[in-house]
Amino acid sequence: MSKVLAAIDNSAAARPVLAAGAAFARLLHADLEALHLRENGDRTARAAAEAAGLPLRELAVRELPGSKIAALLAAGEAADVEAMVVGARASRIGRRPVGHIALELIVSQLKPLLVVPPHAFVPERFQRILVPLDGTRMTSAALAQTIELAHDSDVDVVALHVHEQDSLPLFSDQPQHEVETWRREFFARHCPHPEKVRLEVRVGIPAENVLRAASESESDLIALGWAQSLGEGRAAIVREALERSDVPILLVPVVRGARHTTSDQHEAG
Amino acid sequence: MLDWDGTAVPDRRADAGRVRHLFEALSRAGFDIAVVSGTNVDNVDGQLAARPAGPGELHLCLNRGSEVFAVGPAGPRVVHRRVATAEEDAALTRAAELAVERLAHRGLEARIVSERLNRRKIDLIPEPAWADPPKARIDELVLAVTDRLAAHGVHGLPGAVEIARRAAADAGLADARVTSDAKHVEIGLTDKSDSARWILEHVRLRGLRPRDMLLAGDEFGQLGGVPGSDSLMLVSEAAGAAGVSVGVEPGGVPPGVIALGGGPDALLDVLEQQLRRRTRRELPHVPDDQDWTLAIEGIDPELERAHEAMLTLADGAIGTNGSLLLAHPATAPRVLAMGLYDGEGTETELLPCPVWTQLAGELEPSDRVQRLLDLRTGLLHQQLSLREGVLRAVLFSSAARPGTVALRVEGPAQRLQRRGGLAAPLARGAQAGGAGRRRWLCVAASHGGVVAAVAESRLSAGRKMGRLDRVGTYVVDHAALPEPVEAVEALREVEQAGFERLLVEHRATWARRWEEADVVIEGDPELQFAVRFSLFHLMASVPDSGEAALGARGLSGPAYRGHVFWDSDVFVLPSLAATHPAAARALLEYRVRRLLAAREAARRSGRAGARFPWESAGSGFDVTPPLAYDRTGRVIPIRTGELEEHIVADIAWAASCYLDWTGDEEFGSGSGLTLLVETARYWASRIRLDQHGGAHIDGVIGPDEYHGRVDDNAYTNGMARWNLRYAAHLAAAAHASGVDAAERDGWLAVADALVDGYDASTGLYEQFAGFFALEPLVIEEIAPRRPVAADALLGHDRVRAAQVVKQADVLMLHHLLPDEVAPGSLEPNLAFYEPRTAHGSSLSPGIHAALLARTGRTEQALAALRLASRIDLDDLTQTTAGGLHMAAMGSVWQALAFGFAGVRPGRETLRFDPHLPDAWQALELRLRHRGSVVRVRIEPGELLVHANPPLAVRVGDGDPIPVGPAGIRLQRRAQEWTEGNR
Repeated sequence: MSKVLAAIDNSAAARPVLAAGAAFARLLHADLEALHLRENGDRTARAAAEAAGLPLRELAVRELPGSKIAALLAAGEAADVEAMVVGARASRIGRRPVGHIALELIVSQLKPLLVVPPHAFVPERFQRILVPLDGTRMTSAALAQTIELAHDSDVDVVALHVHEQDSLPLFSDQPQHEVETWRREFFARHCPHPEKVRLEVRVGIPAENVLRAASESESDLIALGWAQSLGEGRAAIVREALERSDVPILLVPVVRGARHTTSDQHEAG
Repeated sequence: MLDWDGTAVPDRRADAGRVRHLFEALSRAGFDIAVVSGTNVDNVDGQLAARPAGPGELHLCLNRGSEVFAVGPAGPRVVHRRVATAEEDAALTRAAELAVERLAHRGLEARIVSERLNRRKIDLIPEPAWADPPKARIDELVLAVTDRLAAHGVHGLPGAVEIARRAAADAGLADARVTSDAKHVEIGLTDKSDSARWILEHVRLRGLRPRDMLLAGDEFGQLGGVPGSDSLMLVSEAAGAAGVSVGVEPGGVPPGVIALGGGPDALLDVLEQQLRRRTRRELPHVPDDQDWTLAIEGIDPELERAHEAMLTLADGAIGTNGSLLLAHPATAPRVLAMGLYDGEGTETELLPCPVWTQLAGELEPSDRVQRLLDLRTGLLHQQLSLREGVLRAVLFSSAARPGTVALRVEGPAQRLQRRGGLAAPLARGAQAGGAGRRRWLCVAASHGGVVAAVAESRLSAGRKMGRLDRVGTYVVDHAALPEPVEAVEALREVEQAGFERLLVEHRATWARRWEEADVVIEGDPELQFAVRFSLFHLMASVPDSGEAALGARGLSGPAYRGHVFWDSDVFVLPSLAATHPAAARALLEYRVRRLLAAREAARRSGRAGARFPWESAGSGFDVTPPLAYDRTGRVIPIRTGELEEHIVADIAWAASCYLDWTGDEEFGSGSGLTLLVETARYWASRIRLDQHGGAHIDGVIGPDEYHGRVDDNAYTNGMARWNLRYAAHLAAAAHASGVDAAERDGWLAVADALVDGYDASTGLYEQFAGFFALEPLVIEEIAPRRPVAADALLGHDRVRAAQVVKQADVLMLHHLLPDEVAPGSLEPNLAFYEPRTAHGSSLSPGIHAALLARTGRTEQALAALRLASRIDLDDLTQTTAGGLHMAAMGSVWQALAFGFAGVRPGRETLRFDPHLPDAWQALELRLRHRGSVVRVRIEPGELLVHANPPLAVRVGDGDPIPVGPAGIRLQRRAQEWTEGNR
C-alpha cells in the first residue's frame, strides 16, 4: 500500500499538518505516516500523532548523516511514498512567510507536496478543490491526475483560468456563442471530466484571483502545478498562495517538455 | 499522351486490337488518353476504332497539332481545328515549292508528297527502296538520307530543315513549324507542341497535373542532327511528366526521358501495368506541392479538434471534418448538413449527422499519423503507420455530386473489417438498416432529418493486407424525415458510377472552381497558401443551387450553432458573386425563402416591410439568445437580436452586390426586387422624423457592439439611406414592383432627411450621436497589442463610455458603399477610427486591410491581411475547434479584390485601382462580371487584363477602355494609366 508522508515539527502546526495529511491520504487511498526530526523535544509532536491515531517515526537530528532537508528528501524518495505533507511554518503570527524547511522541500521535492498553513481548518475529507489552469500543456498534464483523483473520490473540482493582459483572447465575435465555444475547447484541452468540473474564468492578476476564487468557491484545497523555481518573477501564484492561503496548497511538479503524443509538429503550406 | 505510329502501333497497317481493348479499359478505369500524331483521323481512328465509355477521356490530336478529336461511344468528333487562312495556305504551298526548288538547285531531287491540313510534306529520299521504311530501320534511313544530302552539298538533315525554314520565311510564314522524320521535311502552321499544349490545358481543367501524366514516344532524341518529332511534346508546361521512349533512338534521349525501348509492345505492357494497379484500387498520388497542401503530422491532443476543422471536406451539402480514420480520445468525427437544424428557438443548432469515415479499432500511442489536404483537388490523404502495417487512405466529398462521399483505403486487412461503414453521431438516436453490402442510418431533426447510406467493397491486396472502397450518399430533407429507400436509390447510382468516375468528376469540378476563382500572389508564398486555404473553404461550403444557410462557421464545426449572421451576406457573398454567382444566388435564396418570417417579425414590432433577424436558422425568426455568460461567468444581456438592425440593409446590399456582378435581370425584377422593396419599407417605417424634418433611427446597435442602444449609428443610417434610394430606383425601373410613385417619393424624401453624422468641416462621420463626447481613449496606444477583446481588458462599462470601437463601423460604411459616403472622407475617417479600433472581432482585420490598401497604406494593409488569413491556421481565437471563421475568410478575398486590386463592379464597367505592396511581384485575380470572364494581372506599375466576352474597364480615374480576349496592358505614369504594348 502506498503512503503519504507527513513531516511534522514540534510545534502547534503539527496537528493541522497531520489533519491535512489524513484528508489527502484518503483522497489517494493511501496510508499516512508521520515523521518527526527530533531536535528540541518531541512532546507536542507525539501528542499530535497520538491524537491523529498515528505511530510517529522519529529521527534524531544530531544522529543524521546529513542535513535535515536531506533526510526529509531521502524519506520522501522511498518508492511507496506518493506524496509528502509539510507545514508552511510553525506559527500564524505576522505575514506568515514560509519556513526554510518547507521552502527547501518545495524547490527540491519531485513528488506532490502538500503545504499546510499553521491555522488551516482541514475537514476530515476534502470537499472541493480549486485547480488553477493556466492553459499550458505542462500544467494541464501535471494537474490531470489530481482532477482524476478528485473525480474518483466524488470531490468537487473548480477549475480556474485567469486571463492576463498578454493572454487575453484576440477576438470575441458574439459572446453568446464565443464564450461557450471557448469553454468547451478549454475543457477538451485542459480538463478531464468536464461534466463534473465547474470552470471559473477571471481577468486580471492570477495570484490575486486564485486566492479570491478559493475563498468565493469555498474550496478547502488548492492544487497548483509548478516548475519548482521560486526565483525572481517566477511562480508568483505559488509564492502568494503559500504566504496568504488559508487552505492547504498541493504543489504538483510540472514536467518540462511533457507531451501527450508521439509527434507534435504542425505544418501549414 | 502518346505518339501513334511507332509508339502505340508498329506502323499504320498493324492490327491495333490490343491497343483498342486497352484504351477502352483504361478509360473505364478513369485514365485520360491522348494520341498525338501527324496523320489524320481516318488513318488513326480507322486503325484504332476505340469507343471508350469513360469516365476517362480519349483524344486524338492529329494533323500535327492542327486538330483535336474527342472519341466517345459514337466515335470521334472534332473539338478543335486550326483553320488556315487562304494566305497561309498559299504561303505553305509556296514555301514547299521554294524548298524543293532550292534543293533541286543543288541537284537533289525532292518531292512534295502531300498537302495536308496546315502543312506540306517534302520527301527527301523519293526512292523505291525507301518508299515506306519501318521504324526499326530508322538508323539506316538516317544514314541513307544524310549521305544523299551530303552528296549534294546539304549538311545533313539540319541543313535540309534550314533550307525549308528559310523557304518558309521567304514565303511569308513568320512562325512556320519545320520538322523532320528523317525521310521527310514538313513545313506547317502547327506541330506536336500545339497538341501537347492543348492536352495539358485540357487536363489541367480536369484537375490533373503534369506529374500525373505519362508522355510516350519513339523519336524523342536527335535524328540525324535534328530533334525527333516526339521531342516537341516536351513543352515547358509538361515539366514534371514522366517521359518514356520505346524507340530505337539512335541519338539517345533527352534528359528526363527514360529510354525503355522495346517498341509498342513495351508501351502497352506499361499501360497494362497501370491498369492493373488501378483495378487493384491503388491510391492516387499523395500531393507534394507545398503551395496547395495543408499537412498535419501526428496527433496533438490540444490542437486535434482545430486541425480536424481545418481539414474539413465539404461540398455545399455536407461537411465532414478531417478526423482520423481510427478512434482516438482526442478526435471528434463529425458530419454536418447545410441548413439541417435541430431544436427550437435560441437552442436551434446544426444536427450531427451519421459519420462515414471510421474504420475498425483505435490508434495506439506508438502509431504515427499524417494527414494531407490537397486544396487543389479537395482530396484528404491519410497515412497511419500502425503496428501491423501502414494504412493509407484518400477521402473526398464530391464537388460534382454534393452529398456524395468516397473513401479508398489500403492497409492491414483486420482494420478494414468494420461492417456497415456508418457511425451514429454521439448521444443521438438513429435508426439503422441495410442489406448485403449496403447500410443506412437515419437521424431525425426537430423538422426533417437525414439518411446516410454507404456501400463497401473489399479486395485482398496480398498477405494480411486489403483494400476497401466505401461510397456513400446523404439525403437531407428540412421538412420531413427522408425515407431510407431514397438514400439507397441514390447510393445505387453512385455505386454504378464507381470510385474512379466519382474521383474524375470531383477533380474536374475543383479544377473548374479554381479556374474561376484562384488568386495568385507572386512573392509571398506563405500568404499565397493562406489565401488558397480561405478560398478553398469558401468554395466548398456553399452550394450552387437551392438555398444556402451558411452559418458563421460553415460546415466545419458546430460553433455558433450554425446560426446565420451578416457574415454570409456581407463577408462571404461578394467573393462568390464575383467568381461563382450560382453560389451567391443560393445565399440570397436563403433570405428570399424567409421573407415571410421577416415580414411577420416586422409586423410584430409594429413596422412595415421585412425585418430580418440578427441570428437566423431554419425558421427565419430570430434565434439570438437574450442572455449569455461573459468570459468571467457573469450573466449579461444580449441585445443584438433586438437592436442590431443593420442586418436588414446588409441583406439588401448583398442582393445589390450580386446584381452588380451578374446583371441577373430575373432576380433584379423578381425576388431580388421584393427583397429590396420590403427592406426599404421596413426602414421607411422605422425612421423617426423630428420636428425640424430630420430623420433618425434610434436605439440600435451598429457593427461596433461595444456600444449598445445608440441613436443615429452612421453605418445603420447610411445603409438604410442607400437601401431606400436603391429600392426606389429599382422599383421605378421595374414593370410591376408593387411600389407606386408616392411610396417611392416618400422613400427618397426620408432618405434625404436621414442624418448620417457627417461633419464637412472635419471630414468625419460621428459613429453615433454623442460618440465624440465619449472618453477619448485611443486603444492603439493603451492596449498591449491589437487585436484585443477590449471589453475584457478594460471592462464593459469603461469601453461603453469610451471611444473604443470593436470593429469597422463607420469604416464599414466606407467599405460597402464607397460611392455613397462623402468624397474624400475615407482618409480622415481611417485616420480617426483605425487607431480606436480594438479589432475585437475576427471580421475586422480583413476589412481594414481593404481600406488601408485603397488609401495606399499597403504595408499596414498587408499586416492586417496576414492576420485575417491566419485566424484559423494559427487558431488565434482558440475556438477553431468549433469551426472555421467563414466571414474572416471572405474578408481575405475582399481585401485582395476590393483593396489591393481596387476592383469595383459597375453596371457598365469594371473598375480597377491597384495598390500593390512592395513585397509582391504580382497579384492575379479571376473574376466574372456580367457573364464576362475576366483575368487581371497586376504588377508594379502595370496592369494586364483580359475579358471574354469583351467589356469596358476603367483603371483609376481613367475613361472606360474596351477589353477583349486578347487583353490590354496598361502602365502607370504618375497618376495616369495608359495603354502599353499588348
